[in-house]
This record gives sequence, structure tokens and C-alpha cells, in this order.
Amino acid sequence: MSALAPVLEPLTILIAEDSAADLLLLSTIVRRQGHQVLTASNGAQAVDLFARERPQLVLMDALMPVMDGFEAARRIKQLAGEALVPIIFLTSLRQSEALAQCLDAGGDDFLPKPYNPLILAAKINAMDRLRRLQATVLQQRDLIAKHHDYLLHEQRVAKAVFDKVAHSGCINAAPNIRYLQSPYALFNGDLLLAAYTPAGDMHVLLGDFTGHGLPAAVGAMPLAEVFYGMTAKGYGLTQILREMNAKLKRILPVDMFCCATLLCLSTQRRAVEVWNGGMPEGYVHEVATGKRTPLISRHLPLGVLSAQAFDDRTEVWPMALGDRVFLLSDGVLDTADANEQLFGAERLQQVFAANREPDRLFEDIEQALAAFRGEARDDVSMLEITLQAGQSMRATGPLYADSGQSCPLDWSMSFEFRAETLKRYNPLPYLLQLLLEIHGLREQSGALYSVMAELYSNALEHGVLGLDSRLKRDAEGFAQYYRLRNERLVQLSSGYVRVHVQVEPTATGGRMTLRIEDSGPGFDVEQVLARPLDVDRLSGRGLDLVRQLSSDVRWSDGGRSVCVEFCWEALA
Amino acid sequence: MVEVHLDPDVLSGLQEVMEGEYPKLLDTFLDDSQKRVEALRKARDDAKALARIAHSFKGSSGNLGAVRLAHLCQRLEVESVEAAADLGALVDQIDHEFALVKPLYESERQRFQL
Amino acid sequence: MSIESEVSLDGKKLTIAIKGRFDFGSHQLFRDAYERFYKVPQVYIVDLKETTYMDSSALGMLLLLRDHAGGDNSEVQVINSSSDVRKILAISNFDKLFDIN
Repeated sequence: MSALAPVLEPLTILIAEDSAADLLLLSTIVRRQGHQVLTASNGAQAVDLFARERPQLVLMDALMPVMDGFEAARRIKQLAGEALVPIIFLTSLRQSEALAQCLDAGGDDFLPKPYNPLILAAKINAMDRLRRLQATVLQQRDLIAKHHDYLLHEQRVAKAVFDKVAHSGCINAAPNIRYLQSPYALFNGDLLLAAYTPAGDMHVLLGDFTGHGLPAAVGAMPLAEVFYGMTAKGYGLTQILREMNAKLKRILPVDMFCCATLLCLSTQRRAVEVWNGGMPEGYVHEVATGKRTPLISRHLPLGVLSAQAFDDRTEVWPMALGDRVFLLSDGVLDTADANEQLFGAERLQQVFAANREPDRLFEDIEQALAAFRGEARDDVSMLEITLQAGQSMRATGPLYADSGQSCPLDWSMSFEFRAETLKRYNPLPYLLQLLLEIHGLREQSGALYSVMAELYSNALEHGVLGLDSRLKRDAEGFAQYYRLRNERLVQLSSGYVRVHVQVEPTATGGRMTLRIEDSGPGFDVEQVLARPLDVDRLSGRGLDLVRQLSSDVRWSDGGRSVCVEFCWEALA
Repeated sequence: MVEVHLDPDVLSGLQEVMEGEYPKLLDTFLDDSQKRVEALRKARDDAKALARIAHSFKGSSGNLGAVRLAHLCQRLEVESVEAAADLGALVDQIDHEFALVKPLYESERQRFQL
Repeated sequence: MSIESEVSLDGKKLTIAIKGRFDFGSHQLFRDAYERFYKVPQVYIVDLKETTYMDSSALGMLLLLRDHAGGDNSEVQVINSSSDVRKILAISNFDKLFDIN
């Protein structure tokens, strides 16, 4: 036998040929090459045999009775489906048209008669290589599809968890929040959290993790936990930011971080406190004047800096009732048109300027984006919060069902917070938790917290730091007031705030007396209380609120000491 | 034109490939070809049938080294579409050529008679 | 997208030039660019002259480099950034961690 190229692996080959001698010759040649042979003498037999035995390669005579080679080839190709079953036409046809017809019918090659065994062997090997290539491609495609499905499943699970975490809180319940969040891919890593503080202020976080999908879910959960937990306890933005940053820094890999804007909106104080690390600038929109104040990113994103290096300084801006805060994710500015031009901040400003109805701002922006891009973009997050009157105080935390017999009913406690502590520690959450040990007070936790916060902040800011609240009469004064507050606090070396708590049972239930003293110079109580209640003034509201919320407010010691009472009835 | 009736190189090539099956191949060819010659006669003036049979006969005679026979069949196949062709004459020539090569194959076959 | 790295003769300065898109797909190449030097340079320079695009994963990669280079004790410069790239770096305030120009 002449030297033929080694066969890769023995195949099952179907030979369809109506001339008996040719069939015998060909079968022998092919068998001698190491393959298994199936034979048919017309097209119909060939198709049947193929359907039953599924050979890997077919040698097909072009002109046969019953069904010719072309039709048989077409049917066999159909039966083969995605797999490649090479068909080599056996032919003594000479005209190019006829040869082209072979290929059109699905033939992959042809072998002229008289048969040359060397050429036949070479062609069989070549066709077999193609056949294997196709088989590999299909196998890999199926493997990829399986992995893809698996990944999608994992992402779905992550999204379900993420949704529970990311969309609890008051984001859907609060009437003054409007938001638009996108359904892009499975989820996009944009985090939108909102919760009320015990005092009735609202904390809001708009965040954007690097990467989408699972990495975002991993970071979102601990972040949300900190946000909700600490907000409910009455912690301020500064402490929450520190904790969120430390947590992310600890658990996330070095190259992952979370850009975020964190807000505290206070109807009570008519102000918004802001921290922006890495997010596009938001805006405070003054409805009366149309002025927009940008809330610029001044910090590194969360999870990048160590605790020592972390900058927790916030900015405070005044807001009147009806004013709005507007936040957006980078999907808005990054929207590109066909020429890869970005929408950008200038175009956004144009939309703001052209907007006539504040309530339609979202629609205006969406329309502008769609017009710019040529189609709607679906990975954008926007958020608008309006400062509204009458945000009620909520009771946070579970109200226990027991009768309150196991709680402390007759005790007192005193604290003195000195300079080093005042600088870096907010005692209010701790004090609140302490007081909530008294079951009877839990229903009033909102009022309680608001009052404590107000009195403590007065003691610290007006008493110890010596700041004058009349400075907060306009926007500039506002900014200056908070700047001074930070400066003086950093430099503080002496002074104190004392907190005394006394709890006594009464005939009907109980009474908690809270007294706060500061080391400051005091103030003319009568004069301050006599100031007309001016609803649009940026300051002075606090004392009135305190009087509304508690029973019996009394100042003493030249204004350095204030005392309030809270009473409750025994739970049934 | 001098044409080869039976190419001995083809035969020896076939013998090499077929080995033990070589006699069977010769038998099959002779049997097959006999049937084809008869079919050609029967087809008479049916040009399409003549072309089909000639095509098939051309293939196997080519494979078995009957060069002139294969050429004649080729001519019949090609000329069967021409109206003025004398197909009957060609069929005669084919008949004649097969009668010539048949004993050559038979004697070749004899060499392996056990 | 390609990344080329060049070390100075005295081995103290490693320059990594990123050409094309600096995004998630650049991850492995970028790490290879600085991880395979056995001598630790004192200064790392990231050259963005031919960088056409940069996203948040690129920011993450810069953080990885900074961490590798010694974290707070590192010296990493980012040079030749286009105005688009500078904008991204500015919003994230990365100029507090890197020397950018």
C-alpha cells in the first residue's frame, strides 16, 4: 500500500454510488485506510442509512437513480443540523456548472473519477479536520452558554438581595422624594438609600460602586446596614460617614470603592448637610430665586482612605420650604451621541435654565437625553427631594409588648463631656438608647431625640463655642456659621457640656427630667424668647420646637442650664 | 488516434489497492458492464436515457482502465444532446469496444483462478 | 489598547504608558507592567498621553498601583492627562492621592 497520511481516527463513512464496480473499488480503498464503510446504491438508501447510522462523512455519487446525489446531499445536511457532516461528491462531470451544482447542493468537495486513492485519503483527512473543528466550536459554545446561564443566575440572586437592602428604608414611602432608577443590565451598582432620623430629619445616600453586578452587591449590604442602623439611632452624617468608610476600606479589595453623596435634610433647621465623594455635582434649587447651588465633590470616594486620613467635613446650605435638592448619577452626563460627544454639565444647565415647571424637571431631562442620544438611555439614576413642612416625628425601633415592669424606673445619671470629647464624639445616640430603655418613653422617641439634639446643639454651639445664631440670617451667613463652628471645634481646649437624667415613677406612670448645662457665658433668656416667631428666619426655631414637644421647659443659671420634662403613662 | 484499450498500470494499481478483492472487482465490472451494454441497446433513441447510462459506464470503465471505452461513453454523453448526432453508431462502437476488452479482463481474471 | 513600561537607567523610576482605552480590559496588562520588576522603583509615573478613555475601573487600577508602591509612602505621578481624563480624576479628588498634571 502506498504511503498515505496517517488517519487521525477511524471514521464511519457512507458511500453512495450506483455503479457496483465503482462502489466495490471505493469501499475497499476506504476500508484499507482504516475506516468503517456503509454502502448505498441510490440517494434514497443513502438518506435512510444516514438517518439510522449517523456516519461522520459521506462520499456521494452525483447522478443516481431514485434520488440523485444533490437531493440526497440536501436532505443529509438538513438531518445533520448544526454538526458538520462533510459530503464529498464522486463525479466524472466535467463542466464547471455541474461542479458548482455539487457545492451548491451542500457538497463540501468533489473527487473526480477515475479514483486516485492518495487524493481520496488526503481529502478525507482534510474534511475530518474541518469536522472536528466544527465539533469543538459547538462544544465550546455550549460550555460558554452554560457558564453564562450560571452567571446570570448568580447575578439574579445578588440582585434580589441587593434590592431588599437597597430599597428598604423610606425611599418609597416618603412623599417628598422623587426618583428615577434604571433597569440597566441586571443591576447597575447605583445605590439609593433613604431613612428618617429619630428627630424627623431625612438621611439620603446616592452611591455608585466601581463595577456592576456582584462586586456592587458585596459592598452595598454592609454599607446599607451602617446607614440604616446608625440613622435610626440618631447618629449624625459625620459619624455615619466615618463608619461607612472604615467598613468599606476593611472589606473591599484595594481597587474597589464607592462614590457617594450623603445628605441630611432637616425641615426643622431649614438646611441640608452634604458630603460628596466622587459623584457628579448635585444641586440645591432655590425655587423663589431660581438659583442653583452646586454640591461639588470635594472628597475621595468611600473605601479609599484609612480612618486617620478620612475627611468627614460636610457643607451646610440653607433651604426654604419648597426648595429642592437634585442628585444624579454619572449616567446622565456620560450619555453620548452618535459622534461620541458627551451630554455634559453645560447641556444639563441649559435644561435647568429652560425648565419652567419644577415638577416637570425629570421629564425635561429625560427628553433632553433621549433627543441628544437618539434613543432613551436606561442606566441613569436621578433623585429630587423637596423640603416640605410638617415632616412628622417617627417612633423608631420596636415597641415592646411587655408591660414595662422590667425596665429601670427610678434612677438618675450624670455625664460631663469635656473639650476633647466634644470635638470628636456625639453623645446623642448613646443617650437616646439609654433613655429608650424606658419603655414608656419609646412612643415619644422622636420628640425626645429632637429636643435633646436641639438643647445639646444649643449648649455646644452657643454656649461652649460662642456662636451667634443671628449669623444664620442669609445664605452667606449660614456658610460662615458652619465654617466657624468647625474651626472653633477643632481648636477647642476647654469647656464642657453636662447632661443630667432623672427618672422617677409617678402615680400614673413616670417622668424623665433632662437637664443640660454648658460652660458658656449664658444668655438673656427673656429677650430671646420674646423674639417674634418669623417662619422664614433661618434660626431661632429650635426653642419654639422644644417648647412644643416637651412639657415644661425651664432655664436657669443665666441661660447656662435648661431643664425639660417628659411624662408617660404606665403601659397596660 | 492511437488509444489504449486497457491500461496495464491501472490494473496493477487496482491489484495493489484491492489485494484479495481484486478478482471480485473484475467480476463485478464485467457483470455490470454487460448489463449496461444491453441497456444501451434497449434505450434506442431515448437521448436522456442514453446519456445517463453512458455517464455511468464512463465512470466505471475509467476506473478499471478501459480508456478507449471511457472516451466513447464520454462522446455518447456529450452528443446525446445534439439533434443531428448519430447515436446509434456510437452505441455500436461502444458495443464493439467492450467486446474487444472483455476477453482481456477475463484472461486477467484467469490468473487468479484457484 | 497597549501598555508599555520603561525603567530608568538607575532603576529608580518606572514609567508606564497607557495607549488607547484604560478600562476593565486593561487589568492584567497593567498589573504585569509593574509587578514583574524585581527591583522596586522609588517613583512610578503613569503616562496618559495616548489614553483615549478612562473609567472607574482605571481609577481602581491606579489605587492598586499605589498600594503596591507603598500606600501612603508611595510616590505615584500621573502625567500628560487630557482634559477629559483630568475631569474624571478631579471629580474623584484623586489629586489628593496622586501627583497629577
